[in-house]
Amino acid sequence: MSFEIPIGPQHPALKEPVGVRVTVDGEIIREADLRLGYNHRGVEKLAEQKTWIQNIYLMERICGICSHSHATCYVQGVEKLMEIEPPKRGLYIRILVSELERVHSHLLWLGVAGHEAGFDSFFMYVWRDREIVMDILETISGNRVHYAINTIGGVRRDLNELQIKHILESLEVLRQRSAYYQKLGTTEPSFVARLAGVGYLSKEDAIALCAVGPTLRASGVPMDVRKDDPYAVYDEVPFEVCTADTCDVLGRTVVRIKELMQSYNIIEYLLKNLPAGPIAVRPPRKAKPNEVVSRYEAPRGENIHYIKSNGSDKPERLKVRAPTLANYAATIKMLKNGFIADVPLIFAAIDPCICCAERSVAIVDARSQKETVVTMSSLGQLSLKNTNYKARKREAEWPL
Amino acid sequence: MNDEALINKINEGLKDKVVAVTNPAPRRIFFKVNADNLLSAVNWLKDELGITHLSTISGVDLGQSFELLYHFANNYCALTLQTEIPHEHPVLPSICELIPGAILYERELQDMFGIVVNNIPDSRPLILPDDWPAGNYPLRKDWKYERPTEVIPGGKS
Repeated sequence: MSFEIPIGPQHPALKEPVGVRVTVDGEIIREADLRLGYNHRGVEKLAEQKTWIQNIYLMERICGICSHSHATCYVQGVEKLMEIEPPKRGLYIRILVSELERVHSHLLWLGVAGHEAGFDSFFMYVWRDREIVMDILETISGNRVHYAINTIGGVRRDLNELQIKHILESLEVLRQRSAYYQKLGTTEPSFVARLAGVGYLSKEDAIALCAVGPTLRASGVPMDVRKDDPYAVYDEVPFEVCTADTCDVLGRTVVRIKELMQSYNIIEYLLKNLPAGPIAVRPPRKAKPNEVVSRYEAPRGENIHYIKSNGSDKPERLKVRAPTLANYAATIKMLKNGFIADVPLIFAAIDPCICCAERSVAIVDARSQKETVVTMSSLGQLSLKNTNYKARKREAEWPL
Repeated sequence: MNDEALINKINEGLKDKVVAVTNPAPRRIFFKVNADNLLSAVNWLKDELGITHLSTISGVDLGQSFELLYHFANNYCALTLQTEIPHEHPVLPSICELIPGAILYERELQDMFGIVVNNIPDSRPLILPDDWPAGNYPLRKDWKYERPTEVIPGGKS
């Protein structure tokens, strides 16, 4: 007997509410289908009616976790259109904030991964340390979520010696703690057993379905916009592209932990080599008719904005493609032939959202069309039961 | 690999199919083909240059026509394949057979611009709600949003 299960649209593990309809055969998912648009706000249409400066604030509000990513991607495109060059110090501060954002986003993800895998103390430890990054961001920008640090032509706030000292000290704490989590993961067999082999996405599929970010890199494809198409100051900052070849949720975890370590190095480099000088230049009010493709490596992957100007103070067209959309096609592939209890984990592996409220899954009987609502916690129980009864891969190794 | 070598390759490989090639910034190449040659151009990109990553497809309403931009990327640069189709008869071939990851972007084009994508494997609406009135395409320039008058069931008390 096969069941069709609608999950969402208020799905917890994703940034946007999304409806997923999975057809199950016993506990195995055979088909998965997506329904998007529950949170469509018409940002692209709205952007055509706002000026270049107003749009920075609109772009920043596309996302609550990678708010800086969209704002930076937009701003660096507009700078090209207006033919202005932001000063070096401004670029350094901009990239500093974007790396701090990557750290906070990856720590957030790591915690949620721990939670979905049933390792709640890990979740609490990681989220405690995430506060350190949030505090750093607050000292730099005055805000915890929407930093509003970008402006066309540079950044809006400067750094002083005291702040730099504070960030470097906090960074040392974060480094030590992250190294501890790395060690904890290596010696925690149940955590590794829960993640290994879940949500398999082969290298060929990842390339064909145009996956991006850690999802793609965990399938062994070293694609990172920071390296391939260096924007701002990434061509002078030393760092490595992190990959894993296990193609599963474990690999995605490993990639993110490795990227954390790289981000700490980048932040340290940026602070120690911060050039002196102004932080912003004054932009013109209008941009000549032109078009630009701006790419940015957000914590979740490649973010791309296409901006077309028509000579006025408003854009003719502003196309935004957030990394999550690019990963949806790959998610369907990952869900197929997986266990129903792995759905939260697989979804979380793409990158979850913090502003999730109610979590419920309705189970529809394919024959009687009767619906039963299951809470996320009982689905979690099912997941725990599933791992308890399944033969554990005890010899699974943490590939770090 | 550099920009010039890539442009030469494009000119040699696609010959007279290419309408125009521009290189406005380092690592950014725009080239234009006719809509009839779209599939063969994508196929050529995939086979000869090994470019399989489609970042997204952007649509622009130019008034008389629609401009479509296929943003490809490899580990060196961002390549944009442009094409134009008439406003009255907006029909486009699907590239999903060559690049399966394009499906979501093509469905989005159908929703937002009312472009008919031929041979699309899945033509259901992606973003717009199920009860969206037919013939309304939000990203067309002549579409204006009008807030529908609120009807309270049973009338105001």
